[in-house]
Amino acid sequence: MNYEFNWSMLLEEPYIDWIKEGLLNTVQLSLMAWFIALTIGILIGSIRMMKSPVLRFIGTFYVEIFRNIPLLVQLFIWFFVFPLLLPDDLMRAWNSLDGVPFLTALIGLSLFTAARVAEQIRSGITSIPKGQFNAAFSTGLNTFQTYRFIVIPYAFRIMIPAISSEFLTIFKNSALTLTIGVAEITAAATYIESDTFRGIEAYSVASLSYMFTTASVVIFMTWLENFLRIPGLIGKK
Amino acid sequence: MSLPLVEIKNLSLKYGNYKALKNINISFFPGKCVVICGPSGSGKSSLLRCVNKLEEFDNGDVIFDGQSLKSAKNISQIRSNIGMVFQHFELYPHLSVLNNITLAPIQVKGLSKKDANFNAMKLLERVGIDDQANKYPAELSGGQQQRAAISRALALEPKLMLFDEPTSALDPEMISEVLKVMRDLADNGMSMLVVTHEMGFAKDVADEVVFMDEGKIIERSSSKSFFENPKSERAKEFINKVLLKI
Ligand SMILES: Nc1ncnc2c1ncn2[C@@H]1O[C@H](COP(=O)(O)OP(=O)(O)OP(=O)(O)O)[C@@H](O)[C@H]1O
Ligand SMILES: [Mg+2]
Repeated sequence: MNYEFNWSMLLEEPYIDWIKEGLLNTVQLSLMAWFIALTIGILIGSIRMMKSPVLRFIGTFYVEIFRNIPLLVQLFIWFFVFPLLLPDDLMRAWNSLDGVPFLTALIGLSLFTAARVAEQIRSGITSIPKGQFNAAFSTGLNTFQTYRFIVIPYAFRIMIPAISSEFLTIFKNSALTLTIGVAEITAAATYIESDTFRGIEAYSVASLSYMFTTASVVIFMTWLENFLRIPGLIGKK
Repeated sequence: MSLPLVEIKNLSLKYGNYKALKNINISFFPGKCVVICGPSGSGKSSLLRCVNKLEEFDNGDVIFDGQSLKSAKNISQIRSNIGMVFQHFELYPHLSVLNNITLAPIQVKGLSKKDANFNAMKLLERVGIDDQANKYPAELSGGQQQRAAISRALALEPKLMLFDEPTSALDPEMISEVLKVMRDLADNGMSMLVVTHEMGFAKDVADEVVFMDEGKIIERSSSKSFFENPKSERAKEFINKVLLKI
């Protein structure tokens, strides 16, 4: 191989700005999508456990739709098809928004991940002994309170490892949003590459960024797991 | 005689096609301690769970304190007047003992955290584990956990306490500490329905004994006459089995 590395060009204008913007977009998009996915996922996962067949159907329908269509297709649908389905004035308002690609990516990534979180939460809830529900109901807590104070916190602790891995996946999945024009870190790498023909350097930055964010997530989730660990149970420090 | 606290009318319960309770009719009066016993699978736990509608009735109704559970609009409100204690304690593992006890008083009765904590500490003192308030359930012995669970049920100042084999999961040396708490409750006039195999408790503390078999109530007697002079063959057999272990 006869290739002269030039790492320092990454620190030059405008590439350093592209990298910064790309990183910021990746992190922002992933964190926001994660927050929304967790909220919706907990809701949908809980709904699937309810007695009401209507609620259960809504939950199952959601999960099956969002889990089984590839993320890339979902992003295209949100980007190209969804605006066309809006009434005219809403569509105009939507198109005039700042950062439509980012918003679209946020919706697509959140709803897709929420379906996967919902499944994790559901299996977490299933593993909670029936006696815990009976205990909560017997003290007069209603279904909502029982889920809020007992079932979800309990299920969440059981599900932390699975939920961490969804959290890692969301960072990696966010790369797909470059296809609808989000200037995230992978997109930044492609711009730099086409501007400088320095693919190795450009994609190295992108790869390192993912490795770095993933490592941060692992450290954070390990800390969280320890923080939430129930004293007296197995594995207690 | 006072009005019944619990009136069970033509109550049937099914799990799938299996009939766990078959047309139960019985009333319980306030201030009484009633022991429910019978062979395994006879429907004792099911009956207890019906008294606070943790099961959907197949037929019939339970009237608690004048309110029909079947048509109750606010079942949570009614349940908060009925304390329940379980064989496996069912404390919430992720909450401290104190928070286990104060959760429902704060959320259901709207007590301030301060008042709820104050009441909880009094209850823990009463059952002798106030020094364990800030520990988590898994850090307590079985007997301590069950006493914490009794405190949780008492924290709502219930009109009725249900006990489902509260000592069956305990090591022998811890059984007496839990029975002592229950005896103390009965002595103070708490209305209690107790499923238990502790025949000593049934003899000494209970006012009445109800004997069940195969989803039906076979007999109901004062505790004295149940042990000395059981009416049914099946009860006789059962007493011999549990008392003489033959
Ligand atoms: N959730 C359930 N689903 C299906 N069958 C059940 C369920 N709960 C109880 N049963 C069945 O109903 C019958 C009565 O059960 P129940 O638990 O009320 O008996 P029990 O008298 O409390 O017995 P034990 O002394 O063993 O606790 C049993 O045959 C049991 O297998
Ligand atoms: Mg039972």
